[in-house]
Amino acid sequence: MLPEKLKRIDDTKIEVPADYKPGMRVKGIIYVDEILEKDLESHSIDQVANVATLPGIVNASMAMPDVHTGYGFAIGGVAAFDLDEGIVSPGGVGYDINCGVRLLMTNLKKIDIVPKLKDLVSVLYNEIPSGVGSKGKIRLTPDSERRLMLNGARWAVEEGYGEMSDLERIESGGCIDGADPDLISKKAYERGRAQQGTLGSGNHFLEIQYVDEIYDEKSANAIGLFEGQVTVMIHTGSRGFGHQVCTDFLEVMERAVSKYKIELPDRELACAPYKSPEAQDYLAAMRAAANYAWANRQCIMHWTREAFMEFFGTSPRELGMSLVYDVAHNIAKVEEHIVNGRKKKLVVHRKGATRAFPPGHPDLPDAYKQTGQPVLIPGDMGRASFVLIGTEKAMNETFGSTCHGAGRVMSRHQAIRKARGRAIWREMEDRGIIVRSAGRETLAEEMSEAYKDVSDVVDVVHRAGISKRVARLRPMGVIKG
Amino acid sequence: MNQFEIIDISGDVGIKAFGKSLEELFANAAIGMYSLITALEGIEPEKSINVSIESNSLEGLLVSWLNELVFQFDTYGFIGKKIVITGITPSLTLPPRGGVMGGGGICTLKATISGEEFDTERHERKLLIKAATYHRLKVEKVKDIWQADIIFDI
Repeated sequence: MLPEKLKRIDDTKIEVPADYKPGMRVKGIIYVDEILEKDLESHSIDQVANVATLPGIVNASMAMPDVHTGYGFAIGGVAAFDLDEGIVSPGGVGYDINCGVRLLMTNLKKIDIVPKLKDLVSVLYNEIPSGVGSKGKIRLTPDSERRLMLNGARWAVEEGYGEMSDLERIESGGCIDGADPDLISKKAYERGRAQQGTLGSGNHFLEIQYVDEIYDEKSANAIGLFEGQVTVMIHTGSRGFGHQVCTDFLEVMERAVSKYKIELPDRELACAPYKSPEAQDYLAAMRAAANYAWANRQCIMHWTREAFMEFFGTSPRELGMSLVYDVAHNIAKVEEHIVNGRKKKLVVHRKGATRAFPPGHPDLPDAYKQTGQPVLIPGDMGRASFVLIGTEKAMNETFGSTCHGAGRVMSRHQAIRKARGRAIWREMEDRGIIVRSAGRETLAEEMSEAYKDVSDVVDVVHRAGISKRVARLRPMGVIKG
Repeated sequence: MNQFEIIDISGDVGIKAFGKSLEELFANAAIGMYSLITALEGIEPEKSINVSIESNSLEGLLVSWLNELVFQFDTYGFIGKKIVITGITPSLTLPPRGGVMGGGGICTLKATISGEEFDTERHERKLLIKAATYHRLKVEKVKDIWQADIIFDI
């Protein structure tokens, strides 16, 4: 049951009215239908309302259908702030700065790899460093780490990891301007030194998938997707480097809150005025971490191509292994949006939300000017992932944003308890999915039942029109940390 | 008195730590966190590191302390087994919840941690902790026992 004050706007969204909580400057909007409404936690609603109290928030505090309680801001949250009156908050980005997803397509068909799947998964598992305590293959010197922070995926390509043509198929070209390596702590430098090119753990993964359903033939054609096609999805972020940047700047922001006398309903919303040195410094450091993440996914994709090449004894070009797109789903960016009929620059926080720009948007590469931006939505390891496309309606309603994934429904321990006495890998294998993980309990924590059904989440954003379904991908081989 | 209990929340995980003194509380919080990363039985106290932390509140001190250990693990692979906290100052009074210790004063902690370098071949790999957070953070004395709730970002 929804709390009494909440109002259903239509079958895909509800309103948290501005009188829901004292101090709210705008209303909240949560994109859920009646199915997902049942999973809506009261804490998440409170967090959406809390964000609505922050200075300079524009239009509404929003949450996507995969919303769940997070650190200060709900995960699945979208909030945009005015550059004169508004704030910047690390809690609106999260610890894993530029956690995101990239999708690589091939010209292989499902039937080409099914007989060899187990071996292919093993090769990839050995090739891609993953899991707690794993060491990457790259050691960064302070100088190379600086260049990485400034150049992102371009750094990786210049070091020989991938091709220049990959860069145009990455959000922001794989490198966001305005990173400042001088604002990065010694600790973050140290922590990032050996973690470039590592997958991490938790819900991060590398998946071999196939396209099992096309919903929009025209867009799928334009992107290059066809039924039965093998794809590879990579979900990871800025690793310990980004976590340290967030940790460092939360302390800075704690002090800024008292310095600028910002009243907060929750100290986890710690923030500073956009124009303050604290906010500008955080943004410059966050951009360095975002670039670290884009380089990370670039390196991992490069090794994936190499592994395929070796395994199939052919070149990546012959395998048609080209990048579809790469999206960030934990980031704050200055973007131009229309507010009250006027173009305005805003700082848009997406925490567990994906940019979904429409056809014709100036920030899109030529390849996607006509179709709109590909949006990549990973699901749990047993069900499905989706490719969507950005829409004009997202620009009008959600600052060009949509959902980012499935969202957990079970805590890790609940999942482990539920999996007790079961061999999750075997259950998956019976369904034709080969899984490998570094951690013994990872598969239990990450089993399908621990997540909402991503199809329900995608259904809501599709019906709400803030992105459109293009294709569904099914997992075949999964590598977890 | 247990050293710690697991706090189970969707998405992340936390611990409730206990101690007869603040020193014991902070040491148990660290052991609790380490036990989320690996099975501590497998860790040997082969080498020691010293850390010193400061913060303007007791709660902030706990977060900074655990984040220092997260940093040591994530950067150098160092995982602790035995923790000796040589002093937390000031340790006599507790400010109001979330308040600042001793009217804006500084809280400090010094500790020696014995453990070893994590080895993926020998040690169990459990959770990758990104950070200790301020989410639902609480340090309080209930009867004669210090208690702390701390949630980790996983």
